[in-house]
Formats: sequence, C-alpha cells, structure tokens
Amino acid sequence: MVVNTETIAGKVITQNLGVVGGSTVRAKNVFRDITQGLRNVVGGELVKYTELLEESRNEAMGRMVADAAARGANAIVNVRFATSAVTGGAAELFAYGTAVKVE
Amino acid sequence: MLMMLLALLFFSSIVTAQEASERKPDDLLGLGFFLICLSPLFVLAAIGILWSLAYPVMLLWAAIFSGRKLNKKVSSIVEREHVSIAHFGRDPLSTLRGDYSSSGVSESGLVYSSVVYGPSHWHLLIAWFTNLVGGRIDILTKVIAAARAEAKQRLREQARAEGWDEVLNVRIDTAEMTPASVQKGPRAVEVFAYGTGIKYN
Repeated sequence: MVVNTETIAGKVITQNLGVVGGSTVRAKNVFRDITQGLRNVVGGELVKYTELLEESRNEAMGRMVADAAARGANAIVNVRFATSAVTGGAAELFAYGTAVKVE
Repeated sequence: MLMMLLALLFFSSIVTAQEASERKPDDLLGLGFFLICLSPLFVLAAIGILWSLAYPVMLLWAAIFSGRKLNKKVSSIVEREHVSIAHFGRDPLSTLRGDYSSSGVSESGLVYSSVVYGPSHWHLLIAWFTNLVGGRIDILTKVIAAARAEAKQRLREQARAEGWDEVLNVRIDTAEMTPASVQKGPRAVEVFAYGTGIKYN
C-alpha cells in the first residue's frame, strides 16, 4: 500500500522502518528526440516524452517498493516525487517515502 | 565547424578521386571504402540541410496555427472536466489531508498522472520579445496553465478508471524537460500530479 498522506485512513501504524527510495535515469533514442524536436516547433504535448517519464516513474516506484519490501514493511506513507533534467531529453526520476508496518 | 570539416573532407575526396582515376583501380577500392566510412557524416549533413530548409516553414505554420491549437486544447480540457465532475458529483481532487474522514474508508492508494507540454517556437519568440520590454508574458502563462489543467484532468480520469471515490492530498510538481543552462533540447515542462485515492464503504 502506497499513499502520500501521513497516515493511512482506517489503519494504525505500528512500526517506522525508515526512509526508502528509488530512482532511475532514462532517455529516448535519437530518432524519438528528432521527431519530438519537430513537434516542439509547433508546440503542444510531447507524447513520447510523457510516455518516457511515465515508464521511468513506474520503474522508480518499483524500486522504492522493493526497497520497502526488503525491510519487511507492508506500506509506504508520505511518498514524494522529485524530477531533475540531467541533460536535454533525459530525466532523473526519484520517488521516496517512509516505510512502515500497519495493522 | 562541422560543416567546414565536411566540406574539407569532400574536396579532399574529390582530389583523391581524380588522382585515383589516373592510377590503379586498387586505389579506387580504397576510396570507396573511405566514402562508406564517411557516409554517416553525409547523412547527418543532409539532415542538417533539410532542417534548416524546413524550419522557417514550420515556424510559419506554428505562427498561424499554434494559438488556435492552444485554444482548442483549453476548451477540450474544460469539456472533459465537466464530464468528470458530473460523474463524481463534485471535483474529486482536493489538497486536504483527509484526517477528518478516517471512518468508513475501505481502501487507499497512490494515484498519479503526468503530461509533457511545450510552447511552440512562435510562442517562445513572442515571449522573448515581451521579455525585452518587460511585463507579463501572457502567452507562456496560458501554455503552462493548460499543461496543469491537463495533468489535473488526467488525474481525475485515472481516479475514475481505478475506481477511487476521492483523491486527497493532491500535489502538483512542475519540472523543466531541458535545464535553462543547456542550449539544445526540447523546450517543455513536465507537470506531474499525484495524490492518495480513497474508497469509501
């Protein structure tokens, strides 16, 4: 169970297992960069980059959940996300939260 | 710089070709091999030339159509918002923490959605001119407002698709796709909206 509130409604937190996180850096291939560059001239949504960030975020989340599971947690509360652009067309996604045990 | 290097390589290859035609066919084979090795550079040069030819046309296209495209986008988001609000009975998103409604909750989990949205180069040009004079840059305000509205609307649709009754503690993050210090790359912002979905008994 992953939430971004400090508590989980209807559940009691019994143990705090510390901060867990996961991150990933990804980029699209050069042909995608070219097509998205063309699209950028006209403006609007850059669909392939939306997809790229979606995939990366899922991967970062997966790593965070794996980290929490390795600590024996069954929930993560107060999840936060951070994004940084390392260079044009590549992005670092970072997800972090507090691993807890709930009843 | 690259173009100069290419031109130099090109002329030197012509000279060697002329020399080679006077000499043995063995050298011609070497030249062919040399040209094949260089072919990626020729392809790059061709892309560069095509780009410089096509860019003014695309900018003109953007000047004529991007404002209309943006208005259409905004009105379509408003329409989809009405559909979602009609489904939930009210706006399902809120930034409240939700401690007040801890009774009767059956399930909770993370909901998130994102969009990468950029202004057209025509809009960037207008923004650049406005920046010289100073004052509000209305056109970029409009583009980013549209991106935020789209991300929020996708969060509502995601919540509906996953069957949540409400989304609490919504946060909206905005990140640049290309840092301002980097010259090349897409000029766009990524808007990411997330919150905790709640199901009531």
